[in-house]
Amino acid sequence: MVKVRDRFEFVVQTLAYIFIAYMLISLFYLYIAVGENWNLVWKALFDSRVIGALAISVSSAFIVGGLAIAAGIPVAYLLAHKNFRGKSILETLLIDMPQTFPPVTEGLVYLLMLGPYGLSYTYAAVIIAKFYVSAPFTVSFMTRRFREIRGAGFDIIAKSLGAKTIHILSWVLLPLSARDLLAGFSLTWARAMGELAATLVFAGAVPWKTEIIPTLVYLTSREAPQIAIAASVIAETLSLIALLSFRRIARERE
Amino acid sequence: MRELKIDRVTKYYGAFKALDNVELTIKPQEFMVVMGPSGCGKTTLLLVILGVMNPDGGHILLDGKAIDDLPIEERNISYVPQDFGLFPHLTVYGNVAFGLKVRGYPEDKTRGEVDRLLAAVDLQGLEERKPKELSAGQRQRVALARALATNPFVLLLDEPLSNIDEATKAEVRENLKAFVAKTRITTVCVTHNPEDAFELGDRIAVMFSGRIIQCDSPLNLLQEPVNEAVKRLIAPMYLLWNVKGKEQSF
Repeated sequence: MVKVRDRFEFVVQTLAYIFIAYMLISLFYLYIAVGENWNLVWKALFDSRVIGALAISVSSAFIVGGLAIAAGIPVAYLLAHKNFRGKSILETLLIDMPQTFPPVTEGLVYLLMLGPYGLSYTYAAVIIAKFYVSAPFTVSFMTRRFREIRGAGFDIIAKSLGAKTIHILSWVLLPLSARDLLAGFSLTWARAMGELAATLVFAGAVPWKTEIIPTLVYLTSREAPQIAIAASVIAETLSLIALLSFRRIARERE
Repeated sequence: MRELKIDRVTKYYGAFKALDNVELTIKPQEFMVVMGPSGCGKTTLLLVILGVMNPDGGHILLDGKAIDDLPIEERNISYVPQDFGLFPHLTVYGNVAFGLKVRGYPEDKTRGEVDRLLAAVDLQGLEERKPKELSAGQRQRVALARALATNPFVLLLDEPLSNIDEATKAEVRENLKAFVAKTRITTVCVTHNPEDAFELGDRIAVMFSGRIIQCDSPLNLLQEPVNEAVKRLIAPMYLLWNVKGKEQSF
């Protein structure tokens, strides 16, 4: 406990503790709710529908994370190194909007735009829907880092030594951004794991095809709450382990 | 060994005139120091020569040929910034070898060249160290070795001694002078420090408000400063060099 020095500091600390308690209780209440029914969670682990949803959730989140890196690097390079009219508006549209835009609306957009081409209710639809809301985390982290590196003048020094864009990217920008890349990837992955609305509207919830953990939880929360709780516990535990692992890897790279 | 000519270069930042019709010729192998107070346009001049920004008027010429349209990576002009700009994720070897690898040198040739350069700057045995494990003086020498590894036409130094502590500054300055003299490379160095300018420069161009006020050898500058502003700027050097100006009263 931090030593209280004055009344104002006491108020600040109290507010901080209330916030921390709110976040931690929200995060871990699920484990309390399971109570003594851990056997249900164990059983759900072997439930075909849960396994299917978990497999699709995890695999699609990794694919989305990979695609976010592949797209995020060139976009971040463009935003950090090129000056053009409307750049800040484009940045808002690419990074901020997808994080605030209602995902359910985006699902509808994809349904209207790509549905006629037979893409709705497919595994590809899961990826497309998750990508839109999740990829901006990677783009945001990479853009900020590339700007820092540019601010330090490393790109100019590399160019003065004859380096072309490929050398600057592969020998300077990416090695110096490894931690941020991993941080962006892990947040993209976590966001993709939790995405529900856009996926449900565009990809539906076909077991072993497009059903993911969030849609499974949503659809079973009334008819079979034990499955919903079990699936949630599994997904949350997995996300916690993954995020803590990513964080640890990032720290080891410091 | 190239001649660098700055031909009536003007540069604006919005409405602010950072460089005002700058005209300067740096002879082959010459060590030219551009000296002036902070904000006078010294670094802007370096960045225009380097190609980071284009001049709004005038030209940069190398051996008589305008290089304004050449991108930085094709100018073959090396640059050592104030903080030396060593890549923090690379070792001493990796930093010095960078420009050679970019040019596709084979590993054995790169190794030989880096060894030669590290020997020249007296840094053998430190190849595997990261920049954060080096002293400021050592970092400067790595930056110089890296800048010269590509055999550039011109070397640009931005306040090369501002990050060196006073206790070792004289020695580092002497090493810098000796090393650059040995390589016989055309050099432009900017500094606000008169002592550094006088110790390093074959000639000194004094800059105020984006204009070159006077360009002369250190001794001539002391003996015949063109105006009071120049005289005030170089005042400490009358005592250090024990030289009397024409009308000086220091």
